[in-house]
Amino acid sequence: MEASSHYQVKLEVFQGPLDLLLFLIRKKKIKIHDIPMATITREYLDYLNQKDRINLDREAEFLLVAALLIYIKSQMLLPREKPLEEEKDPRQILVDRLLDYERMKAASGLLKEKEEEEMQRWKRTALPAVFSEDEMEYTEVSLFDLAESFFALMKRKETAEIKTIKGQEYSLEEKMKEILDHLEEEDFLDFLDHFNRQESFEEALVAFLGLLELIKARIVTAVQETHFRPIKVWIRKKNVKSS
Amino acid sequence: MENRLKEIIESLIFMSLEPLTLEKIKGVLTEFNEREIEQAINELLETFVTNERGIQIIQAAGGYLFSTKPEHDSWIKRLLKLERKNRLSSAALETLSAIAYHQPITLAEISALRGVDSSHTLKTLLQKRLAKIVGRKKSPGNPLIYRTSEKFLAYFGLNNIKDLPSPEEMSKILEEENISEEDSPTQ
Repeated sequence: MEASSHYQVKLEVFQGPLDLLLFLIRKKKIKIHDIPMATITREYLDYLNQKDRINLDREAEFLLVAALLIYIKSQMLLPREKPLEEEKDPRQILVDRLLDYERMKAASGLLKEKEEEEMQRWKRTALPAVFSEDEMEYTEVSLFDLAESFFALMKRKETAEIKTIKGQEYSLEEKMKEILDHLEEEDFLDFLDHFNRQESFEEALVAFLGLLELIKARIVTAVQETHFRPIKVWIRKKNVKSS
Repeated sequence: MENRLKEIIESLIFMSLEPLTLEKIKGVLTEFNEREIEQAINELLETFVTNERGIQIIQAAGGYLFSTKPEHDSWIKRLLKLERKNRLSSAALETLSAIAYHQPITLAEISALRGVDSSHTLKTLLQKRLAKIVGRKKSPGNPLIYRTSEKFLAYFGLNNIKDLPSPEEMSKILEEENISEEDSPTQ
């Protein structure tokens, strides 16, 4: 009884099923390349049985691995005329995944050390880019305001010049990337400027949809000081002062 | 003249809010030839190794930047009235290493590698600009693909993504760790 409760506590620190699997393998002092399926599967199912309450989201991930284990086990049990070749061993799927996982774990440990080191160095880049207080008081622009400005702008352009429509296709991703690239270089993107730069209505429309996608994904935010002031697009920062 | 060049470069690095690349320095100092500039930078870096100053010039994300010495950390935090800086969560670190070693990579691939759904973590990393969208994969559903950003390099003090140990080196480190684990007495 004692052992099982201790077991549970330890499991709290696991990030996912692969973590648990690695732990089980380590606990049994088994080499990853040589996994006894029966033992691991039993341990794994035992773990699932031990849980009296089920968090569906989390358990679904665990069940996926349980299913994989059982699949591999069934493959191993099937009688075959010829013994399987080395690389066709069904356990190989699991071994590859675990090795990849273990490597990623090690890499994240390494990044953690690096982070710790860098935390102690204060760089000029750590200074927040000239953010004055009044700039922080921008209010977010609603979707309707954005659409309205966009179409007003397009209308103005339409009357200014007549252009033939070229049969060129614009990709949403490219337009999104354009906005993000701009924001990587500059602190903000001027809404009007950006759409004035677009060559055709189609291009501007795709760029506008791209902007909406980015806003929806909460990667950027469109802000305005007050009405009738320029709309600016910013990269969304959780907390400018904390990083 | 050479001394002045060193000073000019120092002031350029000081004024830059991002790691200043050699190319940018060369682009500004058009009246000097490349060899002179490179030599001046090396000399400038040397002066920071030997002199008794609280700051130094380091290389990160492919450029040069000013940094305080790590051993002064506690006093700087006192000045800025900060208890500690926010660290990345282990989920964020894992996701970053998955991206760093497998880029360009999709969300589904990251989740498969980690064995858990990573959409929330990835979103946070995009917000922190440690990862970036680089396009879409030409496969069913055209999922977005991600890479680590310049800021990722700067954040971890890496000059280049190749500064990370290669997968082979990583495996070697792991093997050594496993051996030492086996050697250690068990309870």
